[in-house]
Amino acid sequence: MIELLKSFLGDSLFVYLIAAALPMLFILPYALVAVLLEMKMAAHIQDRLAYMYTGWHGVLQPVADILKLLQKENTVPHVADKFLFALAPYLIFIGTYAGFAAIPFSSAYIGSNIDLGVFYIVAVSSLVVIGIIMAGWASNNKWSLFGAMRSAAQIVSYEVPTALALVVAVMITGSLNLQDIAKFQAGGIQNWLVFGGPLPLLQKILIMPFTFITFIILFLAGIAEVNRTPFDLAEAESELVQGYNTEYSGMKFAIFYLAEYANMFLVSAIVVTLFLGGWASPFGNALSGPLWGFFWFVAKGMFFIFVQIWIRWTLPRLRVDQLMYTSWKVMTPFLFVCIFAIGLILVL
Amino acid sequence: MSEVKIYFNNIWLAFYTAAVGMRRTFLHLFTPAVTIQYPDVKLKLPERARNRLYVNIDDCIGCDQCSMACPVDCITIQTIKGTPDQDLGTTSTGQKKRLHVPLFDIDIAKCCYCGLCVYPCPTECIVMTDVYEFSEYDRSNLIYRYSIMTPQDIEQAKEKLKKSEEEAAAKKAAAATAAAAAKLAAPATSAPAAPAKTEPINPSPDAPGQAKS
Amino acid sequence: MVLYNLAFYFFSLITLASASVVVFSKNIVHSAFALLFTFFGVAGLYVLMMADFLAITQILIYIGGIMVLILFGVMLTNRTIDVQIRTGSIQTFPAMLIVAALAGTLVGIFWSTDWKISPTAIGFEKTAPEIGKMLLTNYLLPFEIASIVLLVALIGAAMIARREKKA
Repeated sequence: MIELLKSFLGDSLFVYLIAAALPMLFILPYALVAVLLEMKMAAHIQDRLAYMYTGWHGVLQPVADILKLLQKENTVPHVADKFLFALAPYLIFIGTYAGFAAIPFSSAYIGSNIDLGVFYIVAVSSLVVIGIIMAGWASNNKWSLFGAMRSAAQIVSYEVPTALALVVAVMITGSLNLQDIAKFQAGGIQNWLVFGGPLPLLQKILIMPFTFITFIILFLAGIAEVNRTPFDLAEAESELVQGYNTEYSGMKFAIFYLAEYANMFLVSAIVVTLFLGGWASPFGNALSGPLWGFFWFVAKGMFFIFVQIWIRWTLPRLRVDQLMYTSWKVMTPFLFVCIFAIGLILVL
Repeated sequence: MSEVKIYFNNIWLAFYTAAVGMRRTFLHLFTPAVTIQYPDVKLKLPERARNRLYVNIDDCIGCDQCSMACPVDCITIQTIKGTPDQDLGTTSTGQKKRLHVPLFDIDIAKCCYCGLCVYPCPTECIVMTDVYEFSEYDRSNLIYRYSIMTPQDIEQAKEKLKKSEEEAAAKKAAAATAAAAAKLAAPATSAPAAPAKTEPINPSPDAPGQAKS
Repeated sequence: MVLYNLAFYFFSLITLASASVVVFSKNIVHSAFALLFTFFGVAGLYVLMMADFLAITQILIYIGGIMVLILFGVMLTNRTIDVQIRTGSIQTFPAMLIVAALAGTLVGIFWSTDWKISPTAIGFEKTAPEIGKMLLTNYLLPFEIASIVLLVALIGAAMIARREKKA
């Protein structure tokens, strides 16, 4: 992609800026769709109707919401740490957005085709933790700080199973490059890593239960990392008002919101790329190609957005000790077993 | 159960119960909504729903019973007695009206929709309707004035009453003097008859425009 | 090359500016947050030196791990805001000695290092497999010692944090 741009515009800073802005072109419309989907699904699960007035069945409501947030007064608490308060939402968004750089949206487009893609995404998403702590502390509000502390503890704990689950995928594909991992799984639904990947039949059958477990754990840990129900202790509305973004309003709140939805897609994208073939078509070579690749990638990603929303409006919130139990005593041991078993199967 | 068994059972339960819940919510995604688009679509109210009060002032005989029944005192009624020579018409139930009603206010903001005012009404002129959307920006707009008498009408009615009262008083005075004369002339003949005849049409002086707080 | 230089100055500026905030800020929380940008700038400089694995490790370990720990430490300490940080100088003479020794070492390293400043040094190679091989062959002992140190720290932390069961 960058090469293509370079051929048009020459080697200038401009090229890189355009390349860096491209995921934004995806995130903004995606966020509108996701917000609408979230609200509509929440409503229909609860047998309500949700937005009905703005546009056909309220499809323009997210746009109206954004316009409202843009116009809103930007309140800053009097005793807040003004500088950090202003910085925090952007830091969170940067952490999320930086992750998009290594996501292969299609066989033709990846922001930065670095060899350490998986590792890179895990690393930059840790910026989000700092941003959350910053927001919580700068607000000078005890609920915000509680939310931030919980969130940080949670994200740090769940980074362990996430990283281990990534290791499983990396062991099978032999690459940390997400584009390579996606390519590895091309050629039909049977080659996806959830179903054992394109290995010899015996190995594939042996490996399948372990990859499947890893896939589920990765997805759950991902939900925990983006602080969504049932792992939304950081924003527990009934306990902490709104957690770390209690004091935010207007544009800064909109950025938090955008970052949350972007993060949801990032998690889905990682799960999709590592275990569900990324941009690879489920029908082998049929319906494949750069544009179809983009379509498949977004379709799979949106499916996981759907599942995340579905889970959110179904399950209640976990208790703190249950949260830690799930991470340390269930996910992590299971992943160790998976890593060991898969390593053994691959070596033999 | 052993610890290990409990551990695995817990994990199984976590997935199983989550799956049960998610199946339920998934089915609910496709059930029709139970809520409605309220201002556009409205639920049918039950037949005897109690909402905004309505007074058919043409039927009101000014008996003040609704006002007395009201537990929150939201009904204010003033009446002016009609004079015998006036015909105030009859109600739809055929009752003869004897009182002008210059003031019939209902402060619907105070109303508690108990419906107690409806039952005592002898002419069934105060009723509860099914109108429930009558919010206002100014609270004073919620005082509904049902009287149809113009200030001139009220003035006229008052004057007429005054005149008739004066006449009655004069008559009474005349009657009294006559009675006194008669008493002097023939004690204990027509004396009891005169008060009995005058009493209903000659109330105490403060009766007209009886005010209720 | 203009871009490269631009990136270099950008990251250097971030590193130096935030590092000076870390040192000179009177607010300990500000210092802690400024450290984030220092780490980030250093990671950027690593990237410019083609050490992508190192850069990402820097972000993961320092920003994702150590920064969070520092922040937790700072915030869970009583009186974070009104604590007076002294910025005066005491014990000037021993400090001078230590600084001189440190500066001497650094300058010595500067002089003796064979700096790759020509553009030929640029060109990405896969660093991760090489580092992995090295860690499991030539540098196995330091690698294992580091992991044992971490394990000991882990066990120690668990021992301290764990409440004794009163049977």
